[in-house]
Amino acid sequence: MREPNAIDFWRGLALVTIFINHIPGNTFERYTYSQYGISDAAELFVFLAGWSIGIATRGRDGAPEPRLKSVLRLLSRTIEVYRAQLTVMLMALAMIAGTALILDNPLILEWHNAGTFFADPIQTVVGVVLLSHQLGFFNILPLYVILLGIAPVFVLLARLSRVAALALSAALYFASLVEEWNLPSWPGEGDWFFDPFCWQLLLVLGFVLQDWNRESDTLRIWARRLMPLGIVVVLVGIVLSVLELRPDPLLVPEPRLIFTFDKTYLSPARLIHFLGVLLAFQAVYGLVAPRMGPAVQYLARLGRNSLAVFSMGSVLSLGGQLVRFWTGGGLLVDILVISAGIWALGFTAWFVEWRSRKPRPRE
Amino acid sequence: MTSRPTLWMAALVLAAGLSPAPAQEPAPAPQPTIVSPPNAAAAPGAEPLDPSLSPECRVPGSKLYTLAKLRAVKMALKDKRPVRVLAVGSTSAGPGASATYPMKLETALERSLPDVDVVVEARGLQGEIASGAAERLRSMVADVEPDLVIWQVGTHDALARVEIDAFGEALDETVKWIKSHEMDVVLVDPLYTASLADDAYYSSIVRKVQEVAAREGVPLVQRYEAMRYLSGRAEKSEGHMLGRQFRLNDLGLRCMAEHVTRAITLSLLQPDTTGTAGPVLKSDLPAAVRDPNGPQVNPTPDGH
Repeated sequence: MREPNAIDFWRGLALVTIFINHIPGNTFERYTYSQYGISDAAELFVFLAGWSIGIATRGRDGAPEPRLKSVLRLLSRTIEVYRAQLTVMLMALAMIAGTALILDNPLILEWHNAGTFFADPIQTVVGVVLLSHQLGFFNILPLYVILLGIAPVFVLLARLSRVAALALSAALYFASLVEEWNLPSWPGEGDWFFDPFCWQLLLVLGFVLQDWNRESDTLRIWARRLMPLGIVVVLVGIVLSVLELRPDPLLVPEPRLIFTFDKTYLSPARLIHFLGVLLAFQAVYGLVAPRMGPAVQYLARLGRNSLAVFSMGSVLSLGGQLVRFWTGGGLLVDILVISAGIWALGFTAWFVEWRSRKPRPRE
Repeated sequence: MTSRPTLWMAALVLAAGLSPAPAQEPAPAPQPTIVSPPNAAAAPGAEPLDPSLSPECRVPGSKLYTLAKLRAVKMALKDKRPVRVLAVGSTSAGPGASATYPMKLETALERSLPDVDVVVEARGLQGEIASGAAERLRSMVADVEPDLVIWQVGTHDALARVEIDAFGEALDETVKWIKSHEMDVVLVDPLYTASLADDAYYSSIVRKVQEVAAREGVPLVQRYEAMRYLSGRAEKSEGHMLGRQFRLNDLGLRCMAEHVTRAITLSLLQPDTTGTAGPVLKSDLPAAVRDPNGPQVNPTPDGH
């Protein structure tokens, strides 16, 4: 297993944050960094996924692996994520239905978009498999499936020209923002919670920046210089979110998504804030790593096994929600739920690594 | 508590089997055994059921809605342009329903507002009003720009057991915001089910929705009260393999479009300053409409 590094560490932090924020109403929610900025852990998670693709599609020496191999690698990862999404969705639906039965309480069936499945399973099961039916809080992996699915285009294009890859990505982003292109939800009306046409920009940005960073020091030097700007952006973000100041979507000029703080379409304010966060926190890992050994080890281990940890985290946070509803919540329940969850995430990561270390039994 | 409904059901079954012989029982259900839900229908001289609703959905008006003016919708009617409706919340009309809730809603609204074109857009709203969902609702409203927002609210916040006051404040603020952009709002409070009848927290969420509706002067569809009323009625129809609560839930979903439509059409008849007449309704108006003093608020849902 690789040593802890900044990427795994931050990804681990994003995973823990997403786990906590996916148990809405819990006491610890207000202590996650998502509450103190315009962007949140989702941006970090997608950006780091792009960065990791950059690492995965090259050898240790930085030489690009054969094109076909990269395409197949990304395809295989897409299938893995798709499989994880189906598994997690099925478990979530069963947990919701099971709890409704045990508590004799049909209200639970109305849990974030699950009602459609129970009322109309014929259409909805098709929607689940097509990823066009998503439960609330279970909509990051469908985004990730699409992003990995289209990643080969950008990876191969970037080998010819990084600028071209980034330009294509940015063009798609702005066009989607202006035209409000998104994938439809089905059955039912509305669109995806995370618009892949917009969110792809973060993945490509992560990938391109990793590539650039590997080749030259320019990025690092400029990132250092711009750190004060990042800190200003972060401070502004804190003020805006604490005071709950945001543009009124009915008062901003058209195209309004350019001006609002919209999560679905990753509006520019969120993107700028996220870039500010990157600049402001670039040096933090270097400061923290030698001083907080166990925490860094723990988070990096989560980050190394992000898909398994994310999937378990989704199921655990739903479990946490149901436990909170059933017991009525409260500080004690929250402490138990969150600490049990954080332990279970760590165990998941450890278990995945143990399983891959373990020699397979002889035939 | 758990054995009571079973006893009561057993009594019902017995009563149904023996009904021709002993004629001394006028009420459909033996009242003393019922703790929750209360059986208002059985009381003589009770408020009549709203006859404009289909039989299985019939509830007295005071249990079903509080009314208030709908200025933007009236304006659209006056201008003879289509009424754009944004329906927020679950879109299901119950398992196996032939039409979804938005489809039923559009049909029901067009039936009770003759010669008016109603366009219903429906959206699910993930997350809690107290954290994030209110913001997403604003984007949705900006996207659709409706005349009327029909908002099933409170379920997700109740499931997450968010702080009552945080919920109330966020809801109030959002309703204010919608109104400030010259759009109407109709709130629909969360469903009733027996296992939550004594849950003080849940009752206070329902009450909070009522409070906000009253404070902001917007119509409210009292799904909780209506379902509680329906749950008290004797059930002659088929059972449900998952039990009474799930059957009641299906019924609540099936009836929602009708109930919402009723609250809207009656709200449109609320007298306003310009004195324009609303659309003509076929049925007689229940007492609630004749009360010109704005919205009326019913007693709290956990009154027993």
